[in-house]
Amino acid sequence: MNFFVRTRKRFSKFLKFFFRKRSSRIGIYGPPNAGKTTLANRIVRDWTGDAVGPVSEIPHETRRARRKEDITITGANGSSITIDIVDTPGVTTKIDYKEFLEYGLEKEEAIKRAREATEGVAEAMHWLREDIDGVIYMLDSTLDPFLQVNIMMIGIIESRNLPVIIVANKIDLPDAAPTRIKSAFPQHPVISISSLDGSNIEQLYEKMTDYFG
Amino acid sequence: MAHKCTKCGREFEDGSTQILRGCPSCAGKKFLYVRESERHKDVLEEKPLAEIILERRNDTLEIQDKPPKEVEIYDRVESIRILGPGSYELNIEKLAKSDEVVVGLGKEGQYVVDLPSMAKSIRKAGKRRKRKKKE
Repeated sequence: MNFFVRTRKRFSKFLKFFFRKRSSRIGIYGPPNAGKTTLANRIVRDWTGDAVGPVSEIPHETRRARRKEDITITGANGSSITIDIVDTPGVTTKIDYKEFLEYGLEKEEAIKRAREATEGVAEAMHWLREDIDGVIYMLDSTLDPFLQVNIMMIGIIESRNLPVIIVANKIDLPDAAPTRIKSAFPQHPVISISSLDGSNIEQLYEKMTDYFG
Repeated sequence: MAHKCTKCGREFEDGSTQILRGCPSCAGKKFLYVRESERHKDVLEEKPLAEIILERRNDTLEIQDKPPKEVEIYDRVESIRILGPGSYELNIEKLAKSDEVVVGLGKEGQYVVDLPSMAKSIRKAGKRRKRKKKE
């Protein structure tokens, strides 16, 4: 009996391996310090109880892309999707180790961080090129959205025909201006949230289920 | 246990990471382990630390200075390095491997990343090259 059960299990695993529909990979992109890892941690914690990676106020804390597989998200409307979340390093065009010195890092450590951050940008772009089916583009709503890097990244994502949800993060801060982001990117859905305290996150989940589903 | 700098006598807590960079007061690189009971021995007995070291022989910790290793050119992240106005270093290996352009400014730790060059898919780049050959 035991033998049959085991064989059946193994067989179904084998079949699943070949016939399972690959769950779509959603990449969280955005400039450094927008709160990508904070959001990734929240999504993964809300739906699986796990965590993705450490966060810090020093930019470029995430320097390698991290993936969490098979996260099932259910929106308020009842529909659900299963996705893989890819938390990516912050994408920027200029990296200077001197910026990290202001946060109290030693010179040697700052240089190492700059080097790894540069490799991180390349890795994030590699994922975007090869393996991503949808993008959550994160912006800090206290900052100007019309930065060259944001315009360029949205352009690149559009040219690859990937669905994108723009997230205006950090609405818990007093000088947040999410409407500025809405008017900057009228062609895409914009959801304002605070990934730190979780406000409005339900709206993002709902949008994800009908946009990436 | 505590550490004592053999040059100036400054004391450091056990497990202090400060001494790994050398003594912050005198930049001394040799430290003596002292037991709590012997901590003030050198002052009380008016013995210079050097003598105590000779008595104890093996109990010192010497920090060795390692010069920071220069990253070899083929290990670098950047494909082009701008050393100064009109002075460039090309990383041929990286340029040959991919179309991704990362420019290094100055010696190290400052980079400019060309995002559009990273957004092109490899397959497309291959096709383009083939077409060029035909022409």
